[in-house]
Amino acid sequence: MIEIKHISKTYGKKESAFEALKDVTFTIPDGASVAILGKSGSGKSTLMHAMSGLDRPQTGEVVIDGQNILTLKDKQVDRFRAEKIGFIFQSFFVQGNETVSDNVSLPLEIANVAFSSRRKRVEAALDSVDLLEKKNNRAKDLSGGQKQRLAIARAIVNNPSIIFADEPTGNLDSVTGAKVEDLLFSYNKNKGATLIIVTHDADLGAKCDIIIHIKDGKIESIDNKKTRDGAKR
Amino acid sequence: MKFVDITKRAGRSLRESKARTILTSLAIGVGAFTITLSLAAGAGGRQYAADIVSANTNKQELQVSQKQESALSGPQEYSDSPSVTFGGRFSVKQLSSADIDKIAAVSGVKSVSPAYNLSVKYITRVGAKKYNASVSQYNNAMSYNFIAGNGKNLADDEIVLSKDYITALGFKSPQEAIGQTVDLVVARAADIVPPQDQKTFSYKIAGVIDQNELSFASNQTVILVTPAAAKTMYDYNQTGTTTYGNYLAAVVIAKDGVDVNTVKDQLNKLGYDAQTAQDLMSTIFQFINVLQGILIGFGALAVLTSVFGIINTQYISVLERTQQIGLMKALGMRRRDVGRLFKLEAAWIGFLGGAIGAGLAMVVGLAANPWISNVLSLPKGTDLLIFQPLSVTVVIVGLILVSVGAGILPARKAAKLDPIEALRTE
Ligand SMILES: Nc1ncnc2c1ncn2[C@@H]1O[C@H](COP(=O)(O)OP(=O)(O)O)[C@@H](O)[C@H]1O
Ligand SMILES: [Mg+2]
Repeated sequence: MIEIKHISKTYGKKESAFEALKDVTFTIPDGASVAILGKSGSGKSTLMHAMSGLDRPQTGEVVIDGQNILTLKDKQVDRFRAEKIGFIFQSFFVQGNETVSDNVSLPLEIANVAFSSRRKRVEAALDSVDLLEKKNNRAKDLSGGQKQRLAIARAIVNNPSIIFADEPTGNLDSVTGAKVEDLLFSYNKNKGATLIIVTHDADLGAKCDIIIHIKDGKIESIDNKKTRDGAKR
Repeated sequence: MKFVDITKRAGRSLRESKARTILTSLAIGVGAFTITLSLAAGAGGRQYAADIVSANTNKQELQVSQKQESALSGPQEYSDSPSVTFGGRFSVKQLSSADIDKIAAVSGVKSVSPAYNLSVKYITRVGAKKYNASVSQYNNAMSYNFIAGNGKNLADDEIVLSKDYITALGFKSPQEAIGQTVDLVVARAADIVPPQDQKTFSYKIAGVIDQNELSFASNQTVILVTPAAAKTMYDYNQTGTTTYGNYLAAVVIAKDGVDVNTVKDQLNKLGYDAQTAQDLMSTIFQFINVLQGILIGFGALAVLTSVFGIINTQYISVLERTQQIGLMKALGMRRRDVGRLFKLEAAWIGFLGGAIGAGLAMVVGLAANPWISNVLSLPKGTDLLIFQPLSVTVVIVGLILVSVGAGILPARKAAKLDPIEALRTE
């Protein structure tokens, strides 16, 4: 379970200070698919960074599985990310000069996974995104859609319990985008991992269990298909 | 993250920018080249010096004299021990016969032979001219270059001569001279006014030597007799003079299996000044070490320059790979590991540079050795450049450490990078 309690994030100081998140509070149950939906500049990415331990908001708590990660030391937060979180970015951030399998093995190396089990896990992850036959190719030779699938393989290879995807289809056409979406949702369903998608695309948001609408750094509303409470705040 | 994984990733990213890596390494390579050659020249020089010293001295041998006053300014206190005084100020204390006995009694001492300061008038033989002669004592431990006969079990009535005397004394060949008799004529020094008493000492030629390539006294005309024979002539020559029985120095041979330095300490404790062959060598070594130090200084300067190259290269690399670093940190790579990655890249550069430079130095040095020996007309088989595996290793390891040091600042920059900033695209 992810509990976000009263987090606020302010960029800059004094006159140039800008409050990107204003007293944000919500809860996400394990295994849910969640869309954080809002216009550009509304604070979606800032929220995602705070939830994943990449950034530290000035106030509030981010409680994941009962542990407030904002009270952890940097070292422990790094470990938390390496072991529990998978990231997918709009611009893929695959390492073009490395081979496809080296890209995927990076999270395993960071998480200190034993050599013996790495190859199998890398190949399983590549197989699930349909890129196994490209494993020895250089990542820069892949198409955009393949790169994002590679990024998904990299995100899931260490079996994370939470996956954050920041505009995962933003740079893709609708056909390849749909394939990427399918992969993300099927991982969410099959492995029971929590999927948190940051997007401004309402159609993509509509495919999620929970939709968190954000505007100017504030939660506007939360739609929960499963409970259908549709609570306005 | 495992050290192996970091090392592999470091190697991989260097391979991605081959040209830059190699060029940066080459700068270090210049330093490695210079330092490796300097060390080889130093090692070779010391080896050569050691060869010379061991050809001229015995490692069990000590030169012993009285401890001399070091302060030579102002009036010197009078001492009852025998001495030779120069102008009332500079006085060289000598060893008396009692001293010789005292030295002989030291436990590690095998033999003591005083340096008999005897003057021989001339050397000659029947039907030959008279030649000036300077007689030394035959030393079993030294390597003489015999061209006829030998010095083994030299008897007290036998003599070893250098080749030049053989020709001068009218022998057709060194071989022919063996077993022939020569005469040394010694005068009594106590008879200050001529006509002095003089006596002829006859010896059989046991061996003929040629100059040794490594010998200091390569051109000298050498006459060698046993210490006992030298004493006989000395006694005739010096008896009745004021300095009879006093010696400037003595040669002490330490017993086999006894460390000369132990004997040296014992003698020093008794108040004598004892010098081993090693002491003599260390003076020469000091000179070689200074020269070597200067050369290494040039190498160090090259290394210093290359340090800035490494810092520059690594900073550029951090800037170029901002996104990669951001991603690795976002995926949970620890600051320490990110820093290590860049330090290891620097280490690889240092290793490459060290290996290239040291390798090239060895190739060039080994190829040049025969040529150098030829130009400096060193004896055959003498290499002036000696590459010791240990010192080459130390050079390479040292350069790796220097490179890592140079990589610290860029590595810190990489480690500090904020992943959110690094991954911002808009
Ligand atoms: N490092 C920063 N410094 C100052 N302002 C920032 C910084 N990062 C984001 N912002 C501002 O915070 C707001 C929210 O940004 P962001 O979370 O990236 O929005 P979104 O992802 O919804 O497009 C924007 O107005 C943006 O300009
Ligand atoms: Mg964004």
